[in-house]
Amino acid sequence: MLRDVTFGQYYNATSFVHKMDSRVKILLSVVYMVGVFFVHSYVGFAWLTCFLMIAIGASQVPLKSIFKSLRGILFLLLFSAVLNVFFVKEGTLLVEWWIFKIHDQGLIDAGKLMLRLTLLVCGASLLTLTTTPVDLTHAIERLLKPLSWIGIPVHIAALIMSLTLSFIPSIIEETDRIIRAQKARSADFDTGGLIKRAKAFVPILIPLIISSIRRAEELAFAMNSRCYEGSKKHTQMKVMRMGWRDLVGSLITVVFFAAIFTLYAFADNAWLGANLPWLLF
Amino acid sequence: MSIVAKELTFVYNPNTPFAKKAVDSVSLTINDGEFVAIVGHTGSGKTTFLQHLNALIRVQSGQLYVNDIDVSAKKVDLKRLRGLVGMVFQYPEYQLFADTVEQDVAFGPKNLGVDKDEVEARVKNALTLVGMDYESCKNKSPFDLSGGEKRRVALAGVLAMRPKVLVLDEPTAGLDPEGKREILSLVKKLNVEQGITVIMVSHDMNEVYENVNRIIVFKDGKVLYDLPPQQLFEKEDEIEQMNLEVPFMAQFTNQLKRRGITLKGDVRTVDQVFEAVQALKEGDVC
Repeated sequence: MLRDVTFGQYYNATSFVHKMDSRVKILLSVVYMVGVFFVHSYVGFAWLTCFLMIAIGASQVPLKSIFKSLRGILFLLLFSAVLNVFFVKEGTLLVEWWIFKIHDQGLIDAGKLMLRLTLLVCGASLLTLTTTPVDLTHAIERLLKPLSWIGIPVHIAALIMSLTLSFIPSIIEETDRIIRAQKARSADFDTGGLIKRAKAFVPILIPLIISSIRRAEELAFAMNSRCYEGSKKHTQMKVMRMGWRDLVGSLITVVFFAAIFTLYAFADNAWLGANLPWLLF
Repeated sequence: MSIVAKELTFVYNPNTPFAKKAVDSVSLTINDGEFVAIVGHTGSGKTTFLQHLNALIRVQSGQLYVNDIDVSAKKVDLKRLRGLVGMVFQYPEYQLFADTVEQDVAFGPKNLGVDKDEVEARVKNALTLVGMDYESCKNKSPFDLSGGEKRRVALAGVLAMRPKVLVLDEPTAGLDPEGKREILSLVKKLNVEQGITVIMVSHDMNEVYENVNRIIVFKDGKVLYDLPPQQLFEKEDEIEQMNLEVPFMAQFTNQLKRRGITLKGDVRTVDQVFEAVQALKEGDVC
């Protein structure tokens, strides 16, 4: 049933990472993602994986939940890897069969691409696994605050987003209830052709839209009666504070990524290429 | 025609840390033509139990028979079962969707595969039953009706399926006293005149006490009491311990009993109690 669907993928725990300030987490995630694109060698990837593993360890999120997020991009992952294997025409030719030619550089590129995407998605899902959607919205609101200086109503956008997020569970519940009510009237959603099935959803969609509008109206009344004016002066219910965890987390991140950017800067270094080629492979 | 449950158990999210036993080995029989109330707190498993009756929730373990249909079997004739057991959810007016009242009420019988003329007859009949004027309301949009009317139309949508068992989840919630009375007397009429078995969930002990013949109390997924109303509310202390209110008329009868006065017969409504007291008085005088 629909009730089993949990929204978002927040993993409830009270770990080091969970307790970090969500603004810092977002910023560090951005640094991480930029870092992922600066890595070109397998040593760099190992280093990055090491960082990710430390972060996952500190978050107490089981690896299984992290890997679950990979399922969504599995097709993309395989597709782009296959393209790389067959279409990169550099390096030595390994296999040739009919019109297919596989070069060693293609294999290397495919591997790196898969690693890069995997690291990217795992890092992003670590952020959403350890931060509630509402906290994320608030953090984004704070981070985008400079935009309000040039007249962009950031706080209103953030309000819309957090309202949307907080109403999703109730709307799921409502949908579930309407589906059951129509099923009790012997509605059939599972048989018939495409058009018949699409039509079968009308008895669900219309009550759902109507109840959503009603809900929005009630909410607007409730907010009005509490004197909400959308003014910029309203304060946050949860004040975000940075603590020692944020400092420690940031320091570790800086150390790791300093190494990655150094590696990137020296990628064309002749001495390294000659003496330590494995570092750049 | 009866409903028989044997050791019915249902667990939400089985085999996970969030597993919750909502219905815990419930065994009971509801006979033809009974008017039963199911009471209990939120989360006591009453709604989960009721949803088993027309296979909105499939039987996990235990047995359930509705008439001759084995609901616990792997394959159930859902159309027949859902035609037999009409289920009216909380706030049923939120399920209205069609352009006109007529189309909305016809949704159920059409799904059952009833032919066109019969559908029209049933719609007419059901709307009249719930006290709506068929001719004037059939072409109205259901969204233009008042709250009480919407609920009656939604009820008609279930009645048009001609169920033999009517399951109602808090049918009077959110209605004004007048609307409550209308719905209750309608349900009572269906029960008495048409012999429809009615199973009703309610939190209002007064309306339960006056109308039903049997009360089943759920607690933590188990059946705690299964008694006629008078016998149940004689246990005033136990009822109050469960945070259920004792209906006014039951309080009155219990007070009298404590003073050694027993009212004769099954008297539960204000009028019945009034008459019984008056009969006592006259008996005293004579």
